[in-house]
Formats: sequence, structure tokens, C-alpha cells
Amino acid sequence: MLLPWKKGPLESEVFHWIERAPWTPNDGGRSRETEKLMLRSFRHQADAIPAYAAYVRHLGVDPARVKDWREIPPVPASAFKSHDLSAAPAASDGPTSVTFETSGTSISQPGRVRLSSTKLYETSLLRNFERHLLPDEAKLRAVVLGPSMIESPTSSLWFMVDRVVREHAIEALYLVHHGDARWKAADDAFRLAAGSGEPLLLLGTTLLFMAYFERLRIMDVSFRLPVGSRVMDTGGAKGQIAEFTRAEVEQGFEQRLGIPPSHVVNEYGMAEMGSQFYDDGLVAAHERRAPRPGKQIPPWVRTRVLDPETLDELPDGEPGILVHYDLANLQIPLAIQTEDIGRREGDRLILEGRLLGAEARGCSLAFEEFLESAPASVAPAP
Amino acid sequence: MKPIDGFYLPRSLAAGVETAVQRFGPAHDYIEIRLPIVSPEDVTRWIGALRGARAEHLAERPIGSILRPLERVVARFLDPRDPARRTLVQSLATCGRFSAPMVERALDDAFEPLARGGFRKWIASELGSVAALDEPAPTREGVLRRATGPEWMLQIYAGNVPTVPVWPLFSALLLKSALLAKTSAQEPLLAPLLARAIAEEDSELGACIAVLWWKGGTAELERAALAAAPAVLAFGGETAIASVTHQLRPDAKFVLHGPKVSLAYIGRAALGRAALPGLALQVAEDVALYDQQGCLSPHAVYVERGGAATPVDFAAALGEALETASASLPRREPTASEAASVQLYRAQARFEASGDSNRVLAAGSGTTWTVVCENGARFEPGPAHRVVRVHAITGPEEFERAVVPSLRHVEALAVEERGPRRAVLAARFAGLGIPRIAAVGALQRPSPLGTHGGVRRLEPFVTWSTVERGKSASAPRAPRAAKPRAAAKRASRPSRKGSKTKSPARRRSR
Repeated sequence: MLLPWKKGPLESEVFHWIERAPWTPNDGGRSRETEKLMLRSFRHQADAIPAYAAYVRHLGVDPARVKDWREIPPVPASAFKSHDLSAAPAASDGPTSVTFETSGTSISQPGRVRLSSTKLYETSLLRNFERHLLPDEAKLRAVVLGPSMIESPTSSLWFMVDRVVREHAIEALYLVHHGDARWKAADDAFRLAAGSGEPLLLLGTTLLFMAYFERLRIMDVSFRLPVGSRVMDTGGAKGQIAEFTRAEVEQGFEQRLGIPPSHVVNEYGMAEMGSQFYDDGLVAAHERRAPRPGKQIPPWVRTRVLDPETLDELPDGEPGILVHYDLANLQIPLAIQTEDIGRREGDRLILEGRLLGAEARGCSLAFEEFLESAPASVAPAP
Repeated sequence: MKPIDGFYLPRSLAAGVETAVQRFGPAHDYIEIRLPIVSPEDVTRWIGALRGARAEHLAERPIGSILRPLERVVARFLDPRDPARRTLVQSLATCGRFSAPMVERALDDAFEPLARGGFRKWIASELGSVAALDEPAPTREGVLRRATGPEWMLQIYAGNVPTVPVWPLFSALLLKSALLAKTSAQEPLLAPLLARAIAEEDSELGACIAVLWWKGGTAELERAALAAAPAVLAFGGETAIASVTHQLRPDAKFVLHGPKVSLAYIGRAALGRAALPGLALQVAEDVALYDQQGCLSPHAVYVERGGAATPVDFAAALGEALETASASLPRREPTASEAASVQLYRAQARFEASGDSNRVLAAGSGTTWTVVCENGARFEPGPAHRVVRVHAITGPEEFERAVVPSLRHVEALAVEERGPRRAVLAARFAGLGIPRIAAVGALQRPSPLGTHGGVRRLEPFVTWSTVERGKSASAPRAPRAAKPRAAAKRASRPSRKGSKTKSPARRRSR
């Protein structure tokens, strides 16, 4: 009944589409191809991922009758924590297989994203990164404010950074070793680069960059990195309290490292998705146009915005719950319901911070907090 | 509406304080709150002034004369027409934390137990007698003891439920301690209004209190206050509590209340068909009050199988009752993010239902309420905003297996059962160390005679002085030279020793 996962024509068709789908805003042909492939992927997944198959049946959805990608049932992001949602064989431990752990605000212990092939994931992440950070096809030295993949093998973020660095950087300096940030090495690298005139590619979490800037502020030190230096910063773990605004982050890069806001590119991603979303400041600078607001929804991804109360789809411009449909997810369900809030403007995605929920809730135990403090005590349902 | 003060300082300190006005609530319907701009030097200076005021006005003051103005304050906050109460209800409802009926209810529940001799019962239940706060007073066992509170207390409030500061603020004054209180950014209104009302009734008491707000975790301010405080009472999330722990003075007396939830347990004999709607309404009220933002809010109901009505029947009745409660105790509109969490929780429940017999019952309109019914017990706090799980179980063993590993997160358990089995179950669950076993429908009305988080409210901050009799004395005597009349009368009474020392069963039970 359930077909074992095998690389078939579907994977190669999706692969080719992710490789060549045009970046131009919605046109009829482009939409049709992405959406046609989504329906085929869904039918495959509703067959090959047992837990998803059961869910689809439970909802009374007949995959053969689903004719619109909007009807594909999304899985809650938290389901990766309670269920194995992969079409990869359970025992697969080959050289190409990875297991990412999910982070953030969901219902049980860390979720697992198992892939026996990272081909689509890598294709998506590289094409997207090249577009948004390397439109000039620069080959740069990389400085990573984070650990190497060897130290952090279950993180999809550091996997992504590793792939980018190996594909596009001359060499990489990883600043986090065994959980400690080696700021001195960062100082040296930035001083050297400032002297040599060779631009740098910086990759890391926003929190770490801000911690480093705080250190520089106290030491009253700043560097002027060569023109062409650029940054990809990302929120890191979801649910972390953002204690600073985007303007403060950009100001930090400009004041401490001499990198203009156009070259600071924020990324939004999650372990449950093979594709990411980037600011377009750097592409805009390269194309000598004004940047567009928000983040680019890649042409092989669709995002629906739902009314938080009714779950009805909202028109462009209205904020609501984000549900992503990602062709780069083939071994795991392509449709993911998040608890992130944002709005869509065409192929742009504008995220809204979780500011209101950010302060501690006092004596009421929030379930996220419960899980942080006592994950081992969750009793399995009999 | 002109800005409301989100702080209180005694008149002598308030002069010259710089303030900033901050907006609270949604863009279309906000209130403006004036907040002080505080430096670590201010905090240190104000602590000095509060200590001075306490030495002058409070330390030697007889408890009876402290209680009278406090009782007048309680009466004011219970009076629906009182201006302070009106301001509070209007502003809390406007800035969107809770609906007006909910705030009215919260105020009644918090102040009612303190009216009509409530303070005296509270003190006596913890310290043996009210007089022990003035002079060495005999215990039932005939021991002479006097209770002395700390010179001053630092209290840090959480903002999840509006009335969190009520008993703590009073407790400092009952112990004749000065008070520096830090409110939560989410609820900076009640504590200053209460402090101001106290000052209006009695300016000497008012001189011993300061209520401030600063941004949570503003390190220097927190450090300045914590490093100096001889006594600390704090409410907050895991991170906030951990940060307080690290900064305490080594000899400080402290009670820290971290995040918790409550639960309910329904025995099979209570599940009569006729009783079901009433029972469900009571549980629904516990759930609906404060939209599950408090530690007394139940997140799960464990329902025994084998009654006339099944756990599934109960879940259905609870859904109807929550629908009723959505009109009688309207919820606050959740933010988009909060609603997204509820939706994700529902989707997850639906996902899990595809594997077994879980089921979701959601309200027709939006996220107003959610009941998830499932087989078997587990402990898993939900996203709040009226999301409750009903677990069908066979009996207390199953409940205990699921809950015992997480007991430190449980504040209270409401137990409902018919006949003598209710007492048996209650005793059994109390034996687990759950701080409070309540009646269904009464979870949100804890008695001040009970504990908070399993800890008493006054006693942990008291230093006891025991006075042993001199060799030649035949009866205990109060050692103070200038004693109030009541004390003199008591001291001349014959010793009560002997009559009570043989009744250890009368000692306090927990």
C-alpha cells in the first residue's frame, strides 16, 4: 500500500523547477507549474508518509480529488514533535541522510525532520541564498557567528550555513566552539579584513551579532569592513524574545562594522521547511532600485495568510497566521501551519514580531515555558 | 482621559520625580499611564526614606490601629461606586487586559475575604494570634512569642491576573514592614491605586510604601533593590524568578512564586445526568475567569469513567458551559499571536486524533473556547485563552501517574465527588503535596487562610522572638514597659499553659 521512498521522476521534476523557476512576480505560467507540482507532491506525501496519510483520511480529504493547492491540508508545525512525519525509511542512515531538530513554541519535545535525501533542500537553499546574498557572484571569505555543522549536527541553520560556505566561500572561520563565542578571533578577522580590503561574508544569529556589538561598544572599538562586505542574520530559535528593533540591528552593523543597511540581509526560516525567506535589500542595491518591503516568497513556495479567529484566507495586506506550502519539502509534508503572524503583498512576506506575547506571563505556566523547564516530564498518552 | 499614575510614591518623595507618559492598549482605544523615570540612585535613596518612615510611623504602631485604615480601604475597593475602583475597572478594561465584568469579579474575589475581620483571621491563622505582632503573646501551648516583620520588603508582581498585588501589599503593612513594590508592565495600575487609597486613609502608612515600575530585567535597578532587600516576595516566569534568585542578599528572607497551573478531578459518582450541566458550569467558570492567565486556572479536567454520564458527555457539557460563560464573563480579545497559538493547538489535537480516539470540540465562532477530549491522562498545560483538555481516566492511580512527575507545576486541584469519597480523594491528593485542594467552581477564590504555592503569606517573613520565663516568675508577663491596655489585661490573666499543651492535634495542619 505505502510506497517506499524512492527517487523518482517527481523529485527530479521538482528539482529542475526549483533550479529554474523565474524570480519575476506572479505570472500565470509560473504559478501553474509550482502549483501543479504541489498537487503531485501532496498526492505522493498523502501516500508515502503514514502519519500524514492518516491525518488526511481523518479530515475526510481524498487526495485524488484535490484540484487546488489551497485544499492541501497543512500539518501543524508542532506535529513534527509528536509524530514521525517523514517518507524516508526509518532505518536510513546513509551518507546523505540528516535529522534536524525543530526548536520553538510547540507542543511536545523537540521535533525531528528526517530526510534521506537533502537534494531539494540544498537546491532551494543555495538558489535562494545566491539570489539574495550573492547577486554579484562574489566569492568571499566567511565569518560564521555560530558553530560548525560538526558541533551542531541537528540544526538546519548550521547545515544551511555549511552548504553555503562550502559552495561559495573561499574559507570560513567559525566563531562558536563548544558553546563559547571566541570574540577575540572575530576582532582579529575583522581587523585583518579591514586592512586587506577583501570584503567578508558574515553569517549568524541576530542575537550573537548584537552580543558582539555590545562587547565592541563597551570596548569602544569599531571596524570598517571593505565595501562589498555583507551579512545574513537570522532570528535563530523562534520564540526568543527580540529585545531590539531592526533599526538597532542595522545601526549596529553600520556603526561597528561599517556595513550599510542594504548589505544586512535578514533571513526567516524553520527546520520544518526546506526553503527560506530573505530581505531583498542587497538584490535591490545590485539592481540599483529601491528595496521592496518584507521578504521574498521564493517562486516555488506559496504562503497563505489566515484570519487568526476564523482561519479564512485573508487578502493581501492583512495580517494573520502564516501557512507555508514549500515544494522543497518532498519527504516531509509540504504544507505547514505555523503560529507566526505576518501579511503578504504579492510575492512579499512581511513578518510581525511576537511582541505582545513576549513578556513573561507571571504565575501562569505557559506551555512553552513548561516544556523548556521540564521536557522530560511529559507523560506519553496511553 | 487624563493620564493615570502607574506608580505611587509618598508625597515627600514624589516631588521632582521625572515621569514619562506611555500608552497602553490598542491604538484606537488606549489609556495613557504616567510612569516614573527611575535611576539606581533613586531606588537607593527611596529605600532609605521608606526605612526612615517605617521607624517613625510603623515599627512601634499597634496592629489594631494599622488594621482599621486597611479595613476602610478594603471596604472602598468592595464598593462598586468608589472612584478608585471605578478608575481601575475602566482603565483595565480599556487597555485590553480583561473585560469589565471580569475585573469587577476579580476585585470582589480579592477583597471580600479581607472584609469583616478577614485580616484578623488571616493573621491569627498564621501567627497564632494578632497580638503577637505587638508583644510576646502566649501560643496555645503556652509559649510566649512575638513576631517581628522585616524592616522592609521588596515585592515584584506579575501582570497576568490584575489582583496579584492585593494580599502581598497588605501583608507588608501587617508585618509593620516598609514596602518597595515593582509592578508588571502588563498591569501597572492596581498596586499604585491601592497604595494611594491606603495613603488617603492613613498618611503614615502611605509614607512607608513606594510602588514603581521599571522595565523587567533592567539590571541596575533590579540589582540595587535586590542587593539591599532583607525580604523579597516575587512572582514571575522561570527566567524572572531565576534572575531574582541569583541576586538575593545571602541572608534575605524570600518567597518566589514561579509559573504554575491548576487542574480539576471529577469522580464518577459526581457524574449524574441531572448534575452534569451545573457541574460543567462551575468548571467553565474556573476556566473562563482571567482567561486562564492565572496559576489558579485549570488547564485539564480528569474525569473518571463509569459514572452515569461519560467523560465525553462531560466534555460536551463543558463546551456548552464555556459558550454560556463567553457571554457572562466575556473574554479579552486575544492578540493575533495568541489566537495563532490556540489554532495551532487545535490543529495539533486534530492531528493526534487521526491516530486514536481524541476529539476536538471547538466553538463555532473563532477561538472563544476549545475543549479537547482524549482517552487517558497526561499533564500538558495548554496555550490558555479558554483551552481545556478533558481526560477520560479509570481512577486516581492513572491521574497520579501522569501528574506526579510535574507536581512542582501544580498550584491547585479542584476535586468533585459525591459522599465520603470526596474526602478520601482530597486527602489522597493532598498527600501528594498539591498545595491546595479546592471545590470545583471555587478555584479562583483562594482563602487568605490558605497558602500560596504551598507557602504561607506572612509567616515566612517573620522573625520569632521567644520569651522564656524567669526562674521566679509564676505567670508570663509582657516585657514592654509602655503596654497598651489590651496587653495589660492579657498579661494579668492566669497562665493558659497546661490547658492546651496536651492537644498536639490542634497544631496547625497543612
